Amino acid sequence: MSAWKRFLDRFLLLDLFAGLAITGRALFRKKETVQYPEERLAPAHRFRGMFRLDEERCIKCNLCAIDCPIDIIYIDWHQELNPATGKKEKKLDRFDIDLQRCMFCGLCEEGCPTEPKSIWLTTKTYELATYDRWQHLYANKEQLEGWQGRPAYTDEEIAK
Amino acid sequence: MIPGVSGVAAVLPFGLEALRAAAGDTLFYYALSPALKILALLFLAILPVITYLVLAERKILGFLQVRVGPNRVGPWGLLQPIADVMKLLVKEDTIPSRAVRWAFVLAPCLVVAPALVIFSVVPIGPPSATPGGLSGFVTDIDTGVLFVIAVATIGVYGLILGGWSSNNKFSLMGGLRAAAQMISYEVPQGLALVGPLMLAGTMSMVGIVEAQRDARIWYVVPQLVSFFIYMVAGVAETNRNPFDLPEAESELVAGFHTEYSGMRFALFFLGEYANMIAVSAVATTLFLGGWLRPFPSVAWLSPLDVVPGAIWFALKVFVFLFVYIWFRGTFPRYRFDQLMALGWKWLLPLALANIFVTALVKLWLAR
Amino acid sequence: MSAPNGSPEPGSDRRVDPLFEGEEMELSFGPQHPATHGVLRLNLKIEGERIVGCYPIIGYLHRGTEKLFELHPFFQNVPHTDRMDYVAAATNNLAYVGAVEKLVGLTVPPRARYLRTILAELQRISSHLVWLATHAIDIGAMTPFFYCFRERERVLDLFEHYCGARLTLNCMRPGGLPFDLPAGWTDACRRFYEDFPAKIDEYEGLLTDNRIWKRRTVGVGVLSPEAALDLGVTGPMLRASGVGFDLRKVRPYEAYGEVEFAVPVTKNGDTYDRYLVRIAEMRESTKIVRQCLELLPATDGGPIMAKRPRVLKGPKAEVYHGIEGPKGEIGFYIVGDGTPNPYRCHVRPPSFMNLQALPDLAKGHLVADLVALIGSTDIVLGEVDR
Repeated sequence: MSAWKRFLDRFLLLDLFAGLAITGRALFRKKETVQYPEERLAPAHRFRGMFRLDEERCIKCNLCAIDCPIDIIYIDWHQELNPATGKKEKKLDRFDIDLQRCMFCGLCEEGCPTEPKSIWLTTKTYELATYDRWQHLYANKEQLEGWQGRPAYTDEEIAK
Repeated sequence: MIPGVSGVAAVLPFGLEALRAAAGDTLFYYALSPALKILALLFLAILPVITYLVLAERKILGFLQVRVGPNRVGPWGLLQPIADVMKLLVKEDTIPSRAVRWAFVLAPCLVVAPALVIFSVVPIGPPSATPGGLSGFVTDIDTGVLFVIAVATIGVYGLILGGWSSNNKFSLMGGLRAAAQMISYEVPQGLALVGPLMLAGTMSMVGIVEAQRDARIWYVVPQLVSFFIYMVAGVAETNRNPFDLPEAESELVAGFHTEYSGMRFALFFLGEYANMIAVSAVATTLFLGGWLRPFPSVAWLSPLDVVPGAIWFALKVFVFLFVYIWFRGTFPRYRFDQLMALGWKWLLPLALANIFVTALVKLWLAR
Repeated sequence: MSAPNGSPEPGSDRRVDPLFEGEEMELSFGPQHPATHGVLRLNLKIEGERIVGCYPIIGYLHRGTEKLFELHPFFQNVPHTDRMDYVAAATNNLAYVGAVEKLVGLTVPPRARYLRTILAELQRISSHLVWLATHAIDIGAMTPFFYCFRERERVLDLFEHYCGARLTLNCMRPGGLPFDLPAGWTDACRRFYEDFPAKIDEYEGLLTDNRIWKRRTVGVGVLSPEAALDLGVTGPMLRASGVGFDLRKVRPYEAYGEVEFAVPVTKNGDTYDRYLVRIAEMRESTKIVRQCLELLPATDGGPIMAKRPRVLKGPKAEVYHGIEGPKGEIGFYIVGDGTPNPYRCHVRPPSFMNLQALPDLAKGHLVADLVALIGSTDIVLGEVDR
């Protein structure tokens, strides 16, 4: 930079005006804000959110509980005679996930040997906040199965 | 009976006329009328403007930062200031246990009061055409500019006291920074005002605007340098970005008002924004021709005269405020020593040189 | 009227005021301070605003991660690494799985190597964006924060589409990767790296030439190359001091041997140079992502996971594997003992090492500079404390 230009630059504050121009242009640009409760971003297909369990598919192998790095899955089952087939089958007594500690790493889903998976996280549900800490945070078998993987608000609820 | 007042009664609205009749002319013109003007200015103009300035700042900053700003309380967030004020009013007001109580309580008042007092000499409209009518200012004192500088200086005591009395090291540092900064920027700011004063030949704020009308030019043109100095010093004096060191949140948590909460904090906030408007209003008066329309000398623009002077004034002030906010959205913050260096090594000599050159030109023109 | 600070000394009715009696004041900067990037605490000795002593106190975010590693099989530890440097989970994952692969002796298929490189470079971009955003806001420039996070959001969207998480990715496994790319991912990624250089120009327009930014950063916290090497500083901080050491070039891992990129090096070692180096690195990362995406189609349909047993058993051996993370060399030192768990796992965190330079850098500067310096060391306390 020549001395003359440096001198001019010192007094004309060109660098400052360049910055002002950038922010000034942003004034008229499209805004990036997503107005959350009204507008929602759709989670990706692989998004790891709330759990869902399918008891029919589950073979009660305990692999998900073993694979969990923080041991928050508790499974109890008993053998029961199925009168239709005359064979003994495992019946799930308890399938609890301590969601307060879950870090949604997805290793339980990865460890599940059934095809399709009996436990999966891709329910696209991320609104897990509750007013009562035991309401959803400690998911038991019924809650996990009853959970339909729907968004926390239905369209009618949003419209309201 | 005050001379020249008879026949004015028709100008006054009915309620005021009744008041005048009841109180007598002397009491009305010397006490009641100014008091009413002050109250009207305060509660109808300054306080609403300040609260909505906060909203405007948040909105504009949002737009600069590709987001939308507050938009939840009321349409376009228009009720947001009311919600903010409600929240600040009902919030718990804490005083640190080892704070110096009287100073802690006094400090916010010392910040707000001077900032509001400045508006008493700022003319937002022309003097009334008929004597005794409603003029566009509360008072017009001969030493208006001097009064502005003197009163603005008091505000720094609030910052120092607030910073010192909180018994918090961050606050103390913020208070010290505020003191050093405001003192060093008052000098170039005051000197920057000398230029227009020399051109106008009067210190009365109204007189300066009228001088600009008579000179047919806004003083920003012949006094560009002093306008620039005044603006920079004004930003520094109001502790706004890029000179917001006393409350630099990333360095000093919140500077001098770290320990303040609730309404006391709101007063500091109010003081800052009132100061912003005051500095802008003074700049408008001295450099941008106050209530005059743009290009007061161009005859074919005279249809613009139907717009009241107060509107022109408000528009010009808003331009200044917008620039303030724009600065905040763009610039990093100066460091403390760099700020002082800028004030003493650049602005002060520049202001002195400007006075010298102005004097020379004035002498040469008068020759 | 007594001064407000200080407490009565026992046996004396006079209040001793450290502020006005002595020359120095002690200032506890953090852990609840807006500019300490988490829970760093600095005990400062200051004279006026000048820092004469700076003592970092760490451990407020200690979670015993290294001990946790010992308690879990190799593959379960990947999520724990996410939480160390939580703005750069992918590079943590990469360093850890690299160490495990070295220990167990797994060869990663080429497609997985390219994908890992892409993920690591995207992570570098997003980490540098967080750094730039917070660094700028510390120095008082508010707007770059929002601009940077706007682009970071796009990187995080790419991660979300790839592995389902945005921050704590858990996106790598010893031996390869858990998933292949979803459909349309490469196009999204291409759109990102095509737009991104223009966005960097925007940040630079706000900061690089700005006289205030320059005055705040040029000559502040100069780290000489010798001091940098002595302190074990790595990453952009080291390269800003003029030492062109980059593990991606020195010991190429993953696909770095197959792509062309420059290692930005500057001479002065001050805050401004560290800023320039990181900006330049973002541009280089964009190039690496582009090249890897061009190499990727040749391996379409190829395996993404090495042949490996379901339960990995570490042999009785010790390995160290370090990679060039966004903040410097992140390395894992793993000792195996024949069981599925590591016997010992030690982390070499770049933030921790770079933090060692802070007291030296801060000495003699003002409190305002300290904020800029904490920003320019780019520490993440989750990694410092582990």
